[in-house]
Amino acid sequence: MTSPQTLALTPHQEQALQTLLRRYQGGGQSALLPLLHDIQAITGWVDEPTARAVAHTLGIPEIEVHNVLEFYTLFYNRPVGKHVIRVCNDLACMLAGHEAIIRALADHLGVPEQGGTSADGRFTLELHPCLGHCELAPFLMLDEEPMGPVSPDQIPDLLGGVS
Amino acid sequence: MSYEPVLTARIGKIDPASLTDYEAHGGFQALIRAVELGPGRVVALMEEATLLGRGGAAFPAGIKWRAVHQAEGPKFVVANADESEPGTFKDRVLMEGDPYALIEAVILAGFATAADKGFIYVRGEYARAYQRLRHAIARCYEAGYLGRDILGSGFEFHIELRRGAGAYICGEETALFESIEGKRGYPRLKPPFPTQAGLFGRPTLINNVETLINALHIVLRGPAWFNSIGPAHSPGPKLYPLSGRVQRPGLVEAPMGITLRELIEEHGGGVSGSGEFRVALVGGAAGAFLGPDHLNTPLDFRSLASIGAALGSGAVIVFDTSVDMKPILQRIADFFAHESCGKCYPCQLGTMRQRDIIARMVAGQGRPGDLQLLRDIGQTMRDTSICGLGQTASNAILSAFELKLT
Repeated sequence: MTSPQTLALTPHQEQALQTLLRRYQGGGQSALLPLLHDIQAITGWVDEPTARAVAHTLGIPEIEVHNVLEFYTLFYNRPVGKHVIRVCNDLACMLAGHEAIIRALADHLGVPEQGGTSADGRFTLELHPCLGHCELAPFLMLDEEPMGPVSPDQIPDLLGGVS
Repeated sequence: MSYEPVLTARIGKIDPASLTDYEAHGGFQALIRAVELGPGRVVALMEEATLLGRGGAAFPAGIKWRAVHQAEGPKFVVANADESEPGTFKDRVLMEGDPYALIEAVILAGFATAADKGFIYVRGEYARAYQRLRHAIARCYEAGYLGRDILGSGFEFHIELRRGAGAYICGEETALFESIEGKRGYPRLKPPFPTQAGLFGRPTLINNVETLINALHIVLRGPAWFNSIGPAHSPGPKLYPLSGRVQRPGLVEAPMGITLRELIEEHGGGVSGSGEFRVALVGGAAGAFLGPDHLNTPLDFRSLASIGAALGSGAVIVFDTSVDMKPILQRIADFFAHESCGKCYPCQLGTMRQRDIIARMVAGQGRPGDLQLLRDIGQTMRDTSICGLGQTASNAILSAFELKLT
């Protein structure tokens, strides 16, 4: 077991996080998913101290925060790349040749084809169950941007165009 | 083909951000009409229309509307926009292209049932739909369609937009309630049903997005119009998300009960790849494979149920003769093993065992009796799982063996 990692936030991010927590003060358990979404929009993932702050802010046991963080695939309780690329790994995209897209991304990022985070921490590649854009197969999402149909030769430009 | 699309009529023709555009194309006419008619008459219209739930379970919408209408408050309306069934993208297209329609439908349902508040729970991955709905809700507050005294009716209503976070199970209505309540998406035992004790333990009307959009047209055009479309036992307009090996994949709106052949040939431009049809997966991963013998079967709830299949969400994924079906079956088995929430053992263990057995069969290391084992596991999951996930997790795979696809 390695020691749990913690977020390294800029002063600006730290301030945004504190503002957010104040806004949700006393929000109760029902506000948990919205708050975690809003936090991740700032920080990318949720570390142990932040989970504790969330529990304190909403007035709920800390275990409830971890329960939810571990259950939902869009929430992260460990570091994730600055940008997340979700490639649809489901039936329509299989039929449209998603393997070549995954291979091109894995090659460019230097990560396994099952997914992973690039050494520079900029990109995380994930294979995702049906993303619901089957008419645009093969399909991927770069952060919240839908893209499809994509071809393997578009991958370098696609990655190069991201800050 | 004289059918004029209704549910998707505005999509691509209006600016989805513009409320005035929506109003200029018939927007909010259904709500205005509903306020004239009053809640009781709106619920009666919904009962007269044979609107079977478009999320996949085909439950008569009118029964739900009546039950919540009669229930004591506080009560809620929830739009189930957690579209996650593989091959399904109909609700996404509706929300991205015509977001005000869903908002109008939720307000209308709230008015008819005298609900206190509406929730729209959008799949977490649907960022664009979420953003467009968020904008549209803000505009509706500014314009007085949400808030106090809506259209001078004295009715006050609010909508809260929620975002899922990546869990197929949350499309199950009670798991969705748990998720809004800030918990893991574990399904609840039923009864009590949502109309009795749903979100926050209160009477709740929960409908799929497509079902709610249909309600607008039932109020505007009347139940007789609705019931005249398609077969009498499951009438109305239907959205069919068509994908896979067809020339023109996309969202098709057609009268309920068009055949698989019509869908593929007339709307999809025919089979791509080898050009020769092999099989279609109807209803997503929770559905079943249909072979060439069923190309003329009407795609409606009853016709498909009568052959042991299900319409489900209406999703159709087409496979041509060149496709190796082994990885397809593996993918379906992997999907359920990944998405089982783990609350009940038949599903948690059954989906994993199913995945492992398929894996060895695909690797050419199948054992005698494996198929019988899959059937036994499927029967156990169907009989004893808490919710639809486990109950349907073996359907597609067993249907593939029936058709000898591997």
